[in-house]
Amino acid sequence: MSLQTSPIEASGLPRAIIGAIVNNALVLALIAVFAVFSFATPTFLTIANLQSILVNNFTLLAIVAIAMTFAVSVGGIDLSVGTAVDFASFAFVSLVLAGQPVFIAALAGLGAGAAVGAFNAILISGIGISPFLGTLGTLFIGRSIQQLLTNGGNPVYLPPTGVPEAFRFLGRGAIAGIPVPLVIAAGIIVAATIILTRARFGRVALAIGIQPSVVRYSGITARAHVAVAFILVGLIAAVAGLILSATVTVYIPSSGNAFLLNAIGATFIGTTLSRLGRPNVAGTVLGVLLLSIVANGLLLTGLNFYWQQVGTGLLIFAVLALSFINRRKATA
Amino acid sequence: MSAASPAADRSGDAIHLTRIVKRFDGAQALSGASLRVRRGTVHGLVGQNGAGKSTLIKLLAGLHQPDEGRIEIDGQAYDKLTPHRVEELGIHFIHQDRLLVPTFTVGEALFLGREPRIPGTPFLDRRLMQRRASEILDDYFGVRLPNSALISELSTAEKQIVQITRALLDQPKVLVFDEPTAALVRREADILFRLIRRLRDEGVTIIYISHYLNEIEELCDHVTVLRNGEDVATLALSETSAAAIARLMVARDIADMFPKRSVVLGKDILTLDRLSVRGKYQDVSLTLRRGEVLGLTGLLGSGAKELIRTLFGLETATSGQIAIDGRAVRSVNPAQAVDQHLALVPEDRRGNGVALDLSVTENITLSSLKRFTRLGFLYFGGERREADDLIRRLEVKTAGRDALVRTLSGGNQQKVAIAKWLSRHSEVYLLDEPTVGVDIGSKVEIYNLIGDLAARGAGIIVLSSDLPELIGITDRIIVLFRGHVVREFVPSETSPDEVLATSTGSSETLRHVG
Repeated sequence: MSLQTSPIEASGLPRAIIGAIVNNALVLALIAVFAVFSFATPTFLTIANLQSILVNNFTLLAIVAIAMTFAVSVGGIDLSVGTAVDFASFAFVSLVLAGQPVFIAALAGLGAGAAVGAFNAILISGIGISPFLGTLGTLFIGRSIQQLLTNGGNPVYLPPTGVPEAFRFLGRGAIAGIPVPLVIAAGIIVAATIILTRARFGRVALAIGIQPSVVRYSGITARAHVAVAFILVGLIAAVAGLILSATVTVYIPSSGNAFLLNAIGATFIGTTLSRLGRPNVAGTVLGVLLLSIVANGLLLTGLNFYWQQVGTGLLIFAVLALSFINRRKATA
Repeated sequence: MSAASPAADRSGDAIHLTRIVKRFDGAQALSGASLRVRRGTVHGLVGQNGAGKSTLIKLLAGLHQPDEGRIEIDGQAYDKLTPHRVEELGIHFIHQDRLLVPTFTVGEALFLGREPRIPGTPFLDRRLMQRRASEILDDYFGVRLPNSALISELSTAEKQIVQITRALLDQPKVLVFDEPTAALVRREADILFRLIRRLRDEGVTIIYISHYLNEIEELCDHVTVLRNGEDVATLALSETSAAAIARLMVARDIADMFPKRSVVLGKDILTLDRLSVRGKYQDVSLTLRRGEVLGLTGLLGSGAKELIRTLFGLETATSGQIAIDGRAVRSVNPAQAVDQHLALVPEDRRGNGVALDLSVTENITLSSLKRFTRLGFLYFGGERREADDLIRRLEVKTAGRDALVRTLSGGNQQKVAIAKWLSRHSEVYLLDEPTVGVDIGSKVEIYNLIGDLAARGAGIIVLSSDLPELIGITDRIIVLFRGHVVREFVPSETSPDEVLATSTGSSETLRHVG
């Protein structure tokens, strides 16, 4: 539309290259980061380390970030994902400790996470509070409740011996050599992709995120869909809570909040760098991979641990720069 | 205090715009419009929607730059005006929706950006601010507004008073009023008119923009009529009348662009019985039949827009009945309205009609997704066929069904907005200004489409301020004025200026309506 000729538009070849870079930005960024660390440190490109990235860095963050993706898809955000992780973890560990069957305890954990989501849904869809403020309130309330339940924040340990087999399997087992948490994460990735791209719910959710007034003017009750999205966030985050507590056999109050910022980062990296600028599961997962590799790689280079967040920050700036070029290209 | 002593010299022009041309994205908003306003007069500016009034005013305000033409202020030519420069030149704009931040206090709003300080200190001189504000408020309006009152607590009229006071604090040379009475009751309007006359007598030049031709007749010394981006006449009010102005506003040479077809009317599909929304419109009763295209028109504040919104469940009726196909319905939200086979094509197409960043297909099926869902999952094949089918039927010009609607022209976006309801199998279509911002070619296609819908037995209400359009495509026209149905026209027996005169409340017509 604009009549001005941008420098990018001026010549054909550089434009094509920039276009290719921008359209595949996430994959290229992954390859670049991967290559840099492979050269920078000998231990990065080993089977053991790559496994460790997937198990220690990737799995739980991927699940929480996918949960976040549903909140972002309806144009919101959920600052209380960590609260859902914690509540699920608390219910799960407490019931296992009380001698309940693992299956029942796991269901209760999922229910606890979904309840956090339902609480958000009431605040946002029922009362009409903005997602940012509503879930911020939930975050604070959730933190207090956990402190009250644990006498001021004492962890709930499971005894080292006598942990039910099913519980151990969830955290440390393997199916055909693949760690169970990774299998579960893969299942959630597939299911979330299908819901967001092929289910009617996903289509409406994305439309709400893109232009809510049009959804309303099309005769669709947006609030109901937003409510379901936030309950889904709690439910999916609860899965991460179950895996977390099964892996470390302990519930530590408010530990789930550690995922919050990375989950937001990964989701927006994936959204920003997708072709249509829409929240999408594949983008989120690539964003999580990117963050995981940077975290692991920086650690291996022997850099002070405290530099890790500088890496994450720079990564987000790089994404913003790429998306800026992307937008210039789109409007040219 | 005298607000405008410097304007003692009444000869010469305060504003002189010559042959202004302005294009937006290829569409010509102004094609050589001129406006010459003599010092110390009240000058009316009228024209239908799209005639170029607001573009011309925005150019004068420095918000847009002209592509061609000359702007002279006080005999001095200016190449590049900025809003700041315009204010320095003593030109101020009064518009009901603009300028006032609701969370500011009256004092902050009045003195924003030019707060007087206690001499020699960085502190605001609150006493001086309060004194200067109350002087003007008391002298010109006879009201007292504490400087600490919040803007959001004020009535519309009081907000306007604050705006005018803000302008008067600067001792303006020119005051531009843009539809100032749209939200005022008659008594408040009278106060405003007295104020305008007094300011003129003190030497201030007034530009007065209004749809209400009776106000122009009552208030202005001269009037300039804009049509299709050009000035068609500048007249002295002593030598003309509201009816003559109305005639000038309406173009007559496009009658043959309306494909008129005769449809045999079917059963009643929509019946309104004494429908009212308190404060918006009262006791509207009408019947729409299958195959009928009903025109609806009225100015801002006439209640016509609110009537459409009520039917679609965006506003709640305070009394009265709506029946569809003889069954009483109560749409309290758009979802229920859509389930009753109602469809709204809203005026704000890019805000409410289409989702710009969804694809053509996603927009077309948004409202009818249930039909393309099996067990909660989308059936892409059916969705694509539906989109391709409607793209072909409505001749939507798009790079493909997967193109984002953002990439389509206004006319084609509008076709997508209508296609959404065809896909939903809607039966009562509420079209709110369906051809605003649409090029001539697409307009004719949309008129044809409306005819097709009627022929298939749909009932259609077209709300439009484009009167030749209404006369061209509808079976009858209902005019609302200040919340009431004042008259019904048969298109073949009326003219755009007669309809316009009725909807603007121009005195002679109202008299014979009684």
